[in-house]
Amino acid sequence: MDDNGKTQTHDDRHSDAALPRFAVVGHPNKGKSSVVATLAQNDSIAIAMESGTTRDSHRYPMKVDDFTLYELVDTPGFQRPRKVLAWLQGHSLSASDRPDTVAAFVTQHSDDPRYHDECELLRPIVEGAGIIYVVDGSVPYNREHEAEMNILRWTGRPSLALINQIGSDDYSADWEAALGQYFQIVRRFDAVRAPFEKHLELLRSFGELAPNWREPLDAALEYLQALKFGRDHQALECMADALIEMLGHQQTVRLGEHERAALLLPTLRQRWQAWQREREQRLRHSVEDLYQHRRLQRQESDLSLPDGDDLFGERTRQLWGISKGQLAAAGFGAGAVGGAGLDAATLGHSLGTGALIGGLLGAAGSYYYSDKLTKVKLGPLSGGFREAIYGPLKDPQFGYVVLGRALVHWYQISQRNHAGRDVLVVTDSDGHWLEELSRGDRNGLQKSLLALSRRRFEPSKRQRLIEQLELAQQAFAQWQMKRFSEGQ
Amino acid sequence: MTSPLTRLLDFDDQYRRDSQQSQAFLHRRDRRFAQQQQDQRQPLTADTWLAELRALNDQRQSSGRDPRLRRWRQARWIFAGLGTVLGAAFMAGLLFYDGSRQINVTLLLLLVGVQLGLALLTSLQAWLGWQPWASLLGRTAEQGDPLQPLRPALSARIAHTGGLMFAISGLLTLLAMVTVQDLAFGWSTTLQASAEGYHRLVSVVALPWQSLWPAAFPSAELVAASQYYRLGDNPVSDPALLGNWWPFILMAWLTYVVLPRLALLVLAALQVRWQAAASLRRHPGYQPLFYRFETPWVETRGDEEAPRQPAPVQVAMAPLPETGTLIHWAGAGQASAGLVAQLTTQASPLQLRAGGNSSLEEDADTLRRAGERGQPVILVARGWEPPTGELADFLLDAREQWPAGTLLALVPLADEQGGELTDDKLLAQWQRFIERQKDASLLLCAANLP
Repeated sequence: MDDNGKTQTHDDRHSDAALPRFAVVGHPNKGKSSVVATLAQNDSIAIAMESGTTRDSHRYPMKVDDFTLYELVDTPGFQRPRKVLAWLQGHSLSASDRPDTVAAFVTQHSDDPRYHDECELLRPIVEGAGIIYVVDGSVPYNREHEAEMNILRWTGRPSLALINQIGSDDYSADWEAALGQYFQIVRRFDAVRAPFEKHLELLRSFGELAPNWREPLDAALEYLQALKFGRDHQALECMADALIEMLGHQQTVRLGEHERAALLLPTLRQRWQAWQREREQRLRHSVEDLYQHRRLQRQESDLSLPDGDDLFGERTRQLWGISKGQLAAAGFGAGAVGGAGLDAATLGHSLGTGALIGGLLGAAGSYYYSDKLTKVKLGPLSGGFREAIYGPLKDPQFGYVVLGRALVHWYQISQRNHAGRDVLVVTDSDGHWLEELSRGDRNGLQKSLLALSRRRFEPSKRQRLIEQLELAQQAFAQWQMKRFSEGQ
Repeated sequence: MTSPLTRLLDFDDQYRRDSQQSQAFLHRRDRRFAQQQQDQRQPLTADTWLAELRALNDQRQSSGRDPRLRRWRQARWIFAGLGTVLGAAFMAGLLFYDGSRQINVTLLLLLVGVQLGLALLTSLQAWLGWQPWASLLGRTAEQGDPLQPLRPALSARIAHTGGLMFAISGLLTLLAMVTVQDLAFGWSTTLQASAEGYHRLVSVVALPWQSLWPAAFPSAELVAASQYYRLGDNPVSDPALLGNWWPFILMAWLTYVVLPRLALLVLAALQVRWQAAASLRRHPGYQPLFYRFETPWVETRGDEEAPRQPAPVQVAMAPLPETGTLIHWAGAGQASAGLVAQLTTQASPLQLRAGGNSSLEEDADTLRRAGERGQPVILVARGWEPPTGELADFLLDAREQWPAGTLLALVPLADEQGGELTDDKLLAQWQRFIERQKDASLLLCAANLP
């Protein structure tokens, strides 16, 4: 696989029949496309496509470096199952000729517009695909699906039934009992809400349909798991870069020799804030792009509201910032980390005084800056002009606000299935995720955020920041899980 | 082979260009390149990657004179020029001799020491990364400037270049002065120093070249003979002897000014290379690049298909006919006790079934019986289920079998209890279905009598 030439050879040997292919079929609007969208991680698949409009089947191969491991086929729903079954029954002599009869139906009706959808959905099955039959477990079982299930049984292909949960009612048990009579394997799967581990479990059960499909499916699962892990890490890098830029950003403007800087303060602050908002948007888009959510509608706090859930809104600050007490405590810790260097340098002869002094200074600094507004700094006069500089914000709270908002967005995106079509609401919440971090990690994070806001951040420390953000990411996920279980 | 500094800048340029691209595109592009390199057994480095991208973009290899280094190059030339001029002026001023008094060797040694100290201090601040002169270079560099961590080393290289030119031009001036003038050197100090003590000092200074050039090692006699005092005539027994100091001065300048500057300049140049290479390895785009090289490109999305939006439609709800035959499509609304009263004023209308799990024969029978009544037909369906081809076929058969102009009211329900469908999307779906049938007698109606 790491060798292109080898892959090519392998691909040539990989006959079309040996490729695990799964046709996702069923009645219209039962969530076939949702299942495919989630498993193929493709949010561009038209879900809830209107039935009756002509549709073709679409193939979604899972490729690793151009080598296909399996393929999902999204198909249109059954339109005339009773007529198809009647045709099949009218052309078959015995059970042994049933698969051929289905193939004959597809051949004979490929140009018939009435059976376009049936031909589209049966063709991949006739060509060797496994069957994934999707039903909606939130509506009561009724026998109107029996014609469809009978047609599928006639194909003789390995099959799996998937009970998708579209609505809130649950008739899965009835469905399970009924589907068990027609299908080898019956699984429940919520295409919109199932966590990633469930996607993998489902794919693993696809591999159980035929002995020679297990190996490529297992390999695919490993790649998908690695892909998820890689994305989580790349998201951390995006967050780290955004934090470095946002916390250290300076807005500058040229100032005439006799112009007063104070008059420029509102304009500079406005520009600085606009830049910060735009950078936060860029971070969000890059995280969405990483997880392949490309058609996501995002409903956020209205950024034009002066005091809503804006990045600089008071409510945002209350939600994602930390209390002055916590800030001072974290500042103490961060200062103590620095002061400990003095104790180390004196081989402990300072008896911890360094840590104590450093801690006190850190706490005082954090507390002092928490309400301090940024002033405009002036650069040296050159050619009749000088530079007026606004930023970075000497407020440790700002780092926590940016980080908190970045984490909640990342969490929602990373947990979101591609079948989701509801608008993403980036919500804020009560409680603080920082409580899930150990004291030492909190202090380390505080130290990094302070270094960023003072523009004393060395590029060499970026890796350390990423490691701290990884811990923050884990803490945030843990905090979210707790909130979720408390809400149950 | 590009220099590490140019490579770092080129890499940073590419990183900034790539930041506008999607991760998927970057991963595909870089993974493909990595596989190509492995197939051809070529090295997989940032250099080869940059060269490949340049070739792909039809860009020529830059000449290595990056415009962002222009300021540093200019500063280097200025310092070199200043060093040359100042070195010559400094040495000429130092060796200015009008015959009234000897040139003080002690002062020369002191200045050699100062030069050595300055050179070491320059390197020390570069190694420690201090930038006390940063404000001279304008305001702090823009964030993410790849040259930012290299500034101390680059500045040290410039300072050493100036220092080396200063030392060389000083050395050449010394040689010129020695050649064209008869210089008399001596030594003098306010401190209580004997000739023996001073000889020990110059012996220590001359240690490096003592065996290489014995003439450049002042003898005890020369030291004793060349001591002079501020007051008095200081008669010299042998004035020709006083010129014998010049080899010592020359070697002291060469050993303690020229060579350290040269060595430190080479070190500063190496430090720039090392730091540029280290900065490249620490660059935020470096590890992700190698991650993309090493990680297989996993593609699950298939071909992108733009979701087709259904054509917009104006939903037109018609009033229900007051009486009619009721057909439950796929059993819709059959469980609802109050549905009949909602749909018709008739006490007990004829209720039939079609679709769903009814057989095709049962559908045909329903069509026949409904047609015989000659009444309008109210067909009730589940509004949340999309209308399928089977329903379209049923309507087509009805049109063919029933008397022309028989009114057919299609009533999609919101639930099994017979609730009225109000969802705009679902209503639009039914409206479009009706329009596709092209039948003026087919109407979309609400599940309630007006």
